[in-house]
Amino acid sequence: MASNGSDRQLRVVILGGGTAGWMTAAAMVRRLPGEFYSIILIESDEIGIVGVGEATLPHIKQFNDMLGLDEAEFMRATRATFKLGIEFRDWDLPGERYIHPFGAFGEPWGGVQFQHHWRRLREHGRGTAPFQAYSMAVAAARASKFALPDEDPKSIRSTYSYAYHFDSGLYAPFLRDWAMARGVSRVEGRMAAVERDSESGAILGLMMQSGDRIPGDFFIDCSGFRSLLLGGELGVAWEDWHHWLPCDRALAVPCDHGGDGLTPYTRSTARKAGWQWRIPLQHRIGNGYIFSSDLISEDEARETLLANLDGAPQSEPRLLRFTPGRRAVSWSRNCAAVGLASGFLEPLESTSIFLIQAAITDLINLMPSPGPERAVDPRLADEFNRLGNVQYERIRDFLILHYAANRRQGEPLWDYLRAMPLPDSLEHKMALFRARGTAPEYQFGLFSRDSWLSVLLGQGFSPQRYDPLADTFDLELVDTQLADFKSRIDAAVAAMPSQREFIDGYCAASESVAA
Amino acid sequence: MSAAPRHVVIVGRDADLWLTATALRAALGPAGVEVTTLELPSRLGPATAYATLPPIESLHARLGLYEAALLRSTDGSFSLGSNIVPSAGDPFFLAHGSYGAPIDGSDFFPFWVKARRHGLEARLEDFSPTAMAARHGRILFPDEQTETFGRTDYAYHLPAIAYASILKSHAARLGVTMHQAIGVEVKRAGGAIEAVVPDGGSPMTGDLFIDASGSEAVLIGPTAATRDWRQFFPGDRQLKARGARFTAVPAYADVRLSQNSWTALRASQTATYVVCSYRAEDQDDESAVAAATGASGLTLSDVVITPVSPAIRETAWDSNCVAIGSSACALDPLLDLDLHVVQLGIVHLLSLFPTSIAAEAERAEYNRITRSLFERLRDFQSAVYFLTGVSRAAPESLLHKVATFRARSVIAPMEDETFSPDQWRALFAGLGLIPEGWPPAIETVPTEQMKEGFRRILGFVKNKVLDQPNHDHYLAEIGAGGTA
Repeated sequence: MASNGSDRQLRVVILGGGTAGWMTAAAMVRRLPGEFYSIILIESDEIGIVGVGEATLPHIKQFNDMLGLDEAEFMRATRATFKLGIEFRDWDLPGERYIHPFGAFGEPWGGVQFQHHWRRLREHGRGTAPFQAYSMAVAAARASKFALPDEDPKSIRSTYSYAYHFDSGLYAPFLRDWAMARGVSRVEGRMAAVERDSESGAILGLMMQSGDRIPGDFFIDCSGFRSLLLGGELGVAWEDWHHWLPCDRALAVPCDHGGDGLTPYTRSTARKAGWQWRIPLQHRIGNGYIFSSDLISEDEARETLLANLDGAPQSEPRLLRFTPGRRAVSWSRNCAAVGLASGFLEPLESTSIFLIQAAITDLINLMPSPGPERAVDPRLADEFNRLGNVQYERIRDFLILHYAANRRQGEPLWDYLRAMPLPDSLEHKMALFRARGTAPEYQFGLFSRDSWLSVLLGQGFSPQRYDPLADTFDLELVDTQLADFKSRIDAAVAAMPSQREFIDGYCAASESVAA
Repeated sequence: MSAAPRHVVIVGRDADLWLTATALRAALGPAGVEVTTLELPSRLGPATAYATLPPIESLHARLGLYEAALLRSTDGSFSLGSNIVPSAGDPFFLAHGSYGAPIDGSDFFPFWVKARRHGLEARLEDFSPTAMAARHGRILFPDEQTETFGRTDYAYHLPAIAYASILKSHAARLGVTMHQAIGVEVKRAGGAIEAVVPDGGSPMTGDLFIDASGSEAVLIGPTAATRDWRQFFPGDRQLKARGARFTAVPAYADVRLSQNSWTALRASQTATYVVCSYRAEDQDDESAVAAATGASGLTLSDVVITPVSPAIRETAWDSNCVAIGSSACALDPLLDLDLHVVQLGIVHLLSLFPTSIAAEAERAEYNRITRSLFERLRDFQSAVYFLTGVSRAAPESLLHKVATFRARSVIAPMEDETFSPDQWRALFAGLGLIPEGWPPAIETVPTEQMKEGFRRILGFVKNKVLDQPNHDHYLAEIGAGGTA
C-alpha cells in the first residue's frame, strides 16, 4: 500500500458467493481499510454452492476470531459440533483404525522427540500403551468427550486444539449477512462475458447477463470448479494430480442421527473404490463416498453409501465430479483465485476450507495498493503463487501418504496405490521415517510432525530404529515419565463432559434434533 | 540391517575439529559412541578471532562451557551485532535482536516504512534495544521485559587460538581420544573410507569419518565436488591482522564497505582483529595492507593473507564421510559466519546421527537440510554485494526476497533461515532499499495509535538501554577485562 493518492480506491470484485467467496469478502471488509478498498461480490441464486467441507481444521477458529465472531453464536447458526481429529478405519488393513488428532503425542524430553522414547521402551520390553494412548485429543475423542482446551501450558489440557463440523451451506449465508452489514456490496446475477484490456490483458470488468457491466481493478475468482476467470478467461493451465489421487467422484447424503452418535471426530472409512466420510452435526450426519469412477459405477457407490449410514437418509445422494490438481498459478495479471477455482484436493484431511483461509491471509497481505495502475504487480503475484505452492504440495504429499501406505491386498485400487510412483518429496520423507522414526517437520505449510506421525504409525509404518540420542536417557526415568503422562491424560479425560453435554450447555441450536 | 556407528573418527583442525569432537562426545558418549580425533597442524594465527551468532550460547551450555569462564580465558567480548558503514549512505546497525514491537497486533516494520514516507526521522535501529545498547557502549541481556518486547540476543568475539585450545582441553576431559599428524593418507574401499593413516602412524579405522579440516577438505575433497559461488562474491583475497585494543571495547563489529572491498573490526579485551576482503585485480597484497591500515586507523601486526573462494560441497555427507565447517561450505568472509556453519553441521548431524552404517536416509536428509541452511546464509551475504551494486549477480531466492520486500515490506518466508525477518529488513533497509508499499491492513490502525506505538517503543528502548551495564564494566565484573 502506498500513501500518495489517498483519494483513490482499489475496486475489488469477487466472482462467486460460496464458502470461498463469502469468506474472502468477510475477511477483506474486516482487514482492508474501507477508504482504499471497495468490495463487490457477484453471485447468482440460480447457481448452487458446492459447500466444500463440512469438516474443518483448527485454523478456522483463528479466522472466526479475526472477524470477531462469537463462537457459540456461530456454532448455533451452523449446527456445529466439535472435532478433535479424524478417525481412519480400514486404511492400513481391514479392521485397523487410528485417529489423526489435533494435538500432540507425549512431550519431548531432553531434545529427543517423544516417539523415540516410546519406541525405545517397547524395544526394551517395557509394557507401554499403544502410541495413540499418549494423545489427549485421541483419548477424549475415543470417549466422545469434549471441553475447551486450557491456555496454561503446564496443563495436560493445553496439548490439543479443536475444529468444527458444521453445515457449510449455512456458513456462507452467515458470513454473507455479516459481510454485507459491514459494507460489502452484493450483485445478483450471472456473468456473461469478461472485458479485457487489449494491451495488458488485464481484466477491466465483468459483463452480466442482465446487460450490466461491473467494472473493477482487481478480481477474485471464487467461481468454484469452473474457474471462470483464472482458468476460463485467462487460460491458466491445469496441473493434473489424478495419477496420485485417483478418486474423481463423490456421492454425498445427509442422514438422521443414530449409531455412534455425536462423536467429536470425523470418520473416514476405506472402501473398495475409495473411502466414505461421516461427519456428525447437531441435527444430522453428513456422509459421502469418494470413489474412482474407473473402478465402480455410480449405482454401486450409491448402494455402498446407503448401506453404511447411521440413520435414515434425508435426501437422494447428490453426485459431485472433480479432478484432483491445481492451476499452475493462482494469481495471474489482476486476478487471483481462491478455493476450488484455484485447485482441488479431496476432503480426506478436511483441507478445503483451510486452503481458502490460507489464500485469503496471503492475499490480504499482498493485495495491490490502491490505484488502477498498481493492480497488476507480478512481484506480489509471484509471492502469492509461491506461498500457495508450498501449501498445495505439502497437503498433496500428506494425502498421498494415506493411500500409498496401505496393505489391502487384492483390491485393484489399493494395489495400484501401493505400487504407484510417488513424488520425490514424499518418498524422501517416508524413507527417513522408515529408517529411524524421524517424522517430517517444517516451518511453513500445513501438517505438523505429530500429524505426520499419527498417519505414518497409524498406517503400519514400523521404523527400523529410533534416534540413538534416546539411548542416553535413564530407562527407568523415561518409563515413569511415560506412565505419568498417560495417567494425566486419563484423569483429565475422565473429568470431561461428553460432547453432547458440552454442546447442550454451550451452543445447542434451537431446532437440534439429534438423539 | 547394520548396527549404528559406534566409533567416529574426526580429521581436522582448530575450532571446526574441537567443537565437533566435544559436541559429539558430549551428546553420544552416554550412548557408548567413541570419538577419536586426528589433529592436523593449526591454520590459526594470532590475528584470527571468531565471530559467533547467538545460538552458540545454547551449544556451549549443552557442552558445559560457561560464558564468564569462556570470556575470561579467551579474552573474548560480547557482540550485539554489526555496525555497517556503506561507502555511500548512513551507517546502520545489524543487531542480534528485533526492531520495534507489534502495534495493534501488526508487525512493526511496515509502520516504520509508512511513517518514513510521511516524514518520520527516526532510524529503524532507534527502535531496537539491542542496537541502541551497542551504540551506547552497553550490553543487553534478555530479561522478562525484553522477552515481551521481542528478541534481544547476543554473541561473542572470541580470539581463535584461545577458543580452540579451550575446546580441545574440554574434549580431552570428555574422553575424546586424540592423535596428531602433519599429513594424512586416506584408505578407501569402494566409495567409503576404510581408514585414515597419519604420516608415520598406523591406520585408524572407524564407522563414520568426519572431515573438519576446513577448506583443505582432506577426506571429502577427492570424492565430492563443489559448486562455485564466486559469481556472487567479488572478493578473492582476505587479509587478517591485529591491532591495539580500543580504550573502550565495542560490543559489536564494525564493517566498513568501500568499492569492491571491505574492512571489518572486531574487538576482544586485548586486541582489535581486522579482516579485509578485496580483489586481486584491484590491489596487490601490499596495498591491501595499507588500505586496511587506513580503514582501521590501527597499526597492524601478524598479517596473514589467504585466497578466498566461496563454494558449497554438492554433498556434505558422502558415503561414510561427513564434512563439517568450511570443508562443507566455504562462505564469503563477510560477517564471519564460519563458526555458525560448523554449528549447523554439528546440530544436524546429531539430530540425524545414523542408526546404521549405510545411513542412506540420514545422508539424504542431512544433505538436503544443510544445503538449504547454507544457501540462506549465502543469500544474506550476497544481499550486501548485490544491493550496493558491487555484484550484479544474486541467487534467485535472494532476487525473489528483494522483489517481495521492495513491493510490500515483507520478507518472503523460507525454511531454514538463520536470520530473522527483522534482520533481513534491517539489512535491506540499511543498504538503502526502502519498500514502495506495505500490507494494506496497517491502514486500519489510526495514525494517532501508530504514533503512540512509536513513542511507547522509543521510551522502552531508552529506559532499557539506560538500565544496562557498560560493556567494559560488565567484562570486569565477570572477572574478565582486567585491562579496562
